[in-house]
Amino acid sequence: MLTSLGRAVLSFIRYLGELALLAADTATSIVVAPFRWRLLFRQLAEIGFRSQTVVIVTGMFTGAVLTAQTYFQFSKLGMATAVGSVVSVSLFRELGPTLTGLMVAGRAGASIAAEIGTMKVTEQIDALRAIGVHPTDYLVVPRVLALLISMPLLVAESVALGVFASYLVGTELLGINGPYFMHNLKAYTSGRDIKMALTKGFVFAVIIAVVSCHQGLHTKDGAVGVGRAPTEAIVISSLSILIVNFFLTFALNMIFPAG
Amino acid sequence: MIAVHQLHKTLGQQEVLRGIDLQVVPGETCVIMGRSGCGKSVLLKHFIGLLQPTSGQVLIDGEDIAGLPERKLGAVRKKVGMLFQSGALFDSMTVEENIAFPLYEVGLRDAKVVEERVHEALDMVDLLGAEKKMPESLSGGMRKRVGLARTIVARPACILYDEPTTGLDPITSDSINHLIRRLQRRLRVTSVVVTHDMHTAFHTADRVAFLHEGSIYFIGTVDELRASPDSVVQDFIQGRSGESD
Repeated sequence: MLTSLGRAVLSFIRYLGELALLAADTATSIVVAPFRWRLLFRQLAEIGFRSQTVVIVTGMFTGAVLTAQTYFQFSKLGMATAVGSVVSVSLFRELGPTLTGLMVAGRAGASIAAEIGTMKVTEQIDALRAIGVHPTDYLVVPRVLALLISMPLLVAESVALGVFASYLVGTELLGINGPYFMHNLKAYTSGRDIKMALTKGFVFAVIIAVVSCHQGLHTKDGAVGVGRAPTEAIVISSLSILIVNFFLTFALNMIFPAG
Repeated sequence: MIAVHQLHKTLGQQEVLRGIDLQVVPGETCVIMGRSGCGKSVLLKHFIGLLQPTSGQVLIDGEDIAGLPERKLGAVRKKVGMLFQSGALFDSMTVEENIAFPLYEVGLRDAKVVEERVHEALDMVDLLGAEKKMPESLSGGMRKRVGLARTIVARPACILYDEPTTGLDPITSDSINHLIRRLQRRLRVTSVVVTHDMHTAFHTADRVAFLHEGSIYFIGTVDELRASPDSVVQDFIQGRSGESD
């Protein structure tokens, strides 16, 4: 029992070490290796542009549902006009970045792990190395940078459309007074909420990028391994996002306290 | 040019290579033979730094590359090219882009020169006209030819072949064997071929190194190999497993 627990702890520490080494190698590569603009733009299109549909749908329906649920409770207390501010702050501080992170982990993270994993088991990564191209420079850096650039923008898009959906549902469907809704929303949503959302988006991008690239680069056992890599990338990224979000909320609340 | 001294490699719990000493003479074709899983490909990957030894030396032009970090192996890899068992073509690129890739990586930017070099490499492997094809539409033999074109286009001084005929029909295998020989004559490169295909070994080798139980069991010319009285060597040549029905 103790032996297997010890093995699990060691294996976890080893995994964290591998992630740290990959992150350090990526940072080194960004500084020392020639920059590959074409690959970065391709990944921006793949990861950022093509993730929009899933992120927009998630943001809008989360905003809409949250508005409805909040209204059903608040209207009993005669606080229906406060719905906008509650939904807005919730979306900016928690739901927007977290749900966007989970969605991007599912879409882009899985795709990264599968693509790099396939290259690993078909010796394409060894072929890159044999040609003198470092896999981190060619495969990891463009994906990491594309995620770092895309995620804050996707979070902003998701939150903005979530608030917009909230306004539509609140005013058109539930009959909340529009000017009051907007007044309360503006009164309780500040620049600190926006900064918190973007910071979380950036941190989640690092998690998704490093975890997914690591899963891809460590793929083995042929087709079975390629099948396993995206699943593990999604599970590990998602759990990490949820756990890190808890600690990040406390840390960021000290830097950007709620208004 | 390529030499290994007391090379040991352990993978997991298994000691795959047990003190290999081998020197490849410049300009020769050295064939490394042995049963499946005996460590031939593992040894070959040490020659280009794709694997690092547990202990021992790997000398490329006198420079020991054992233990060198990945970023410092770039210069060595410009001298040594490798053809992978599966061809290892980049499946998101056309044949032409695959072959041009090493040229762009060494800093060649003149599209006309790149095109000429790609054309020349494809001509050498008898695949002119396949420039725009994607790897998925190629047969196994064609993939290896494109892989070979990608290897020779950067004009390395040494080419490593990992099981160049495995999985191919006898006619295509023979054609690849001729290609290896022809390239060796035309480009005057040093070649190291890993195979368990006797036909490939006899057709391409100047010298044969027979790997058995993690060590070089026999090394010599093809004639010396054929004449060897050793039962392990003869069993391998004759394909005798020692089992009965």
